[in-house]
Amino acid sequence: MLQCQDFFAGNGTDITVLQSQRAILTRQLPQWNYVIDNKPIDSSLMPQFRGSINNDSAIRSMEAHHCFDHILPDFGGCQLGVTEFPGDKVSFTPSEIATSSIDMDHSLLLNSSRPLATVAAAVVAEAKDRDSPLTQKTANMTGGDSLKKRKAEFIMAEDSKEESIEREAGDCQTSSNTSKVSEVQKPDYIHVRARRGQATDSHSLAERARREKISKKMKCLQDLVPGCNKITGKAGMLDEIINYVQSLQRQIEFLSMKLAALNPRLDFNLDSFFAKEFPAYVASFPTAATSPSEMANLAYLHYNQTQEGDPSSGINMAVNPTQIESQRIASSSMSVAEAYPDTSCFPQVQPLSTWETDLQNLYHREFH
Amino acid sequence: MGPPSSIKKKFLKKWITGLQICSSSKENMSLFERKKAIKLSADVAMASARNATTCWSRALIANASKDDNNKILVDHILGTESERLKKASIGSVMCNNKRVRSKKILKKSCSFRRVKKMAPQMVLASSIAKRLVKKRTLVLKSLVPGGEAMDESSLIEETLDYIISLRAQIDVMRRLANASEHLNLK
Repeated sequence: MLQCQDFFAGNGTDITVLQSQRAILTRQLPQWNYVIDNKPIDSSLMPQFRGSINNDSAIRSMEAHHCFDHILPDFGGCQLGVTEFPGDKVSFTPSEIATSSIDMDHSLLLNSSRPLATVAAAVVAEAKDRDSPLTQKTANMTGGDSLKKRKAEFIMAEDSKEESIEREAGDCQTSSNTSKVSEVQKPDYIHVRARRGQATDSHSLAERARREKISKKMKCLQDLVPGCNKITGKAGMLDEIINYVQSLQRQIEFLSMKLAALNPRLDFNLDSFFAKEFPAYVASFPTAATSPSEMANLAYLHYNQTQEGDPSSGINMAVNPTQIESQRIASSSMSVAEAYPDTSCFPQVQPLSTWETDLQNLYHREFH
Repeated sequence: MGPPSSIKKKFLKKWITGLQICSSSKENMSLFERKKAIKLSADVAMASARNATTCWSRALIANASKDDNNKILVDHILGTESERLKKASIGSVMCNNKRVRSKKILKKSCSFRRVKKMAPQMVLASSIAKRLVKKRTLVLKSLVPGGEAMDESSLIEETLDYIISLRAQIDVMRRLANASEHLNLK
């Protein structure tokens, strides 16, 4: 117990909470020790559980113990398991605890910055608020029960760490939940809510954590797909995503058709394409900009809304006159700027073409 | 995923290579043949630009190289990496098939038990919503290449990546189309 208290003081994230609950903790710690030190279930305690709570919940707690024992070796010993154990916030509604321990409605927020000790303090503090000794015992029991659950969830949280997408999604949620947690080192936690009658064994918890993961990714998708923000419900969201992917695929079909129609010989030889015809192409800008076929391009218009073209970085060489001209035209009509090929793309095609030097020569001839 | 512009550059480079191969292999193509060639080379180029780190790109390459006519093209676009990528793609497809089968068996055995347990009205309410989502998930799986073999969470992840890649592909294609359009108008 002494060791535990040292551990509390050492961590010191929630010292104020700790100090206020120190007296209660020392009284309640023997019940926690059997969990922390991974001893076999204390025989003197179990009858109490059985006496105060119905059989079902007692059996459930036994199951939880087994799962706890299995999990713990992964953490390389008890101490490690304790120190790495994420803190959380446990909230009970008193009436539900009084009726049955399975019916508890607790929200578990895992957060690696908070030590287990403060959790225990919080749970005990909540238990203290109850008047009757029976409910207090139940609360203690449920605290022990949920501890194992948290253990199981923590492991899920660990393998979810790898996913960066999730972390992004988690960022926005942690900001709202920092009221009780003093400091947040990593926004890695899983919020799992067990409602009345829901199972609390490790399988259902895993399933729930999986669903959480999926919904987080769905949120990312929601941000990506335009017009998907207002839709609630998974089915509607999937509908929107399907439509979007289909529209993208159709646009590719359309564009490849268009390219096929425009290029009868499939000859995208960049040598001739740019070196010879580029100056003429630039010269024909003003007339081309007003061509009706350009304006009628549907996909084109759509894309003007959804994504503005990359800021034209200009050709990485001495074609300043072109650039100036194109910018001037771009200010009058967006379509020209869009039609102007992405110049940042083309310098990469150097192995294929020697158009840069050709173009340079041409420009030296024309403008100087 | 790297910066979008680098992906676009990579894609364009590979695509142009692919198109050159297409144009050299066949002289007189009809409009639809040309369109098919353009689309195929664009798709494969995009998949290889993503470096086969994602399931959809691997599946796309695997599907494209199934056809003997396209095999040469795919090989050329992939270039030096082709052996490695293909091996990876074939391996992934095979192991995916295995996983699907075992999943189906598991589902069968699980669903039987679950139906028994639930209360009747619960089944009605939740099963409707589930069916709606399931139907759409299946559609989405058919849209994303290689989606049939994915589970739900990886499907969503792949869809994210696929959408971003499609956007980049469309952007580059649109620019090229506009450029050639202007050339033709002149």
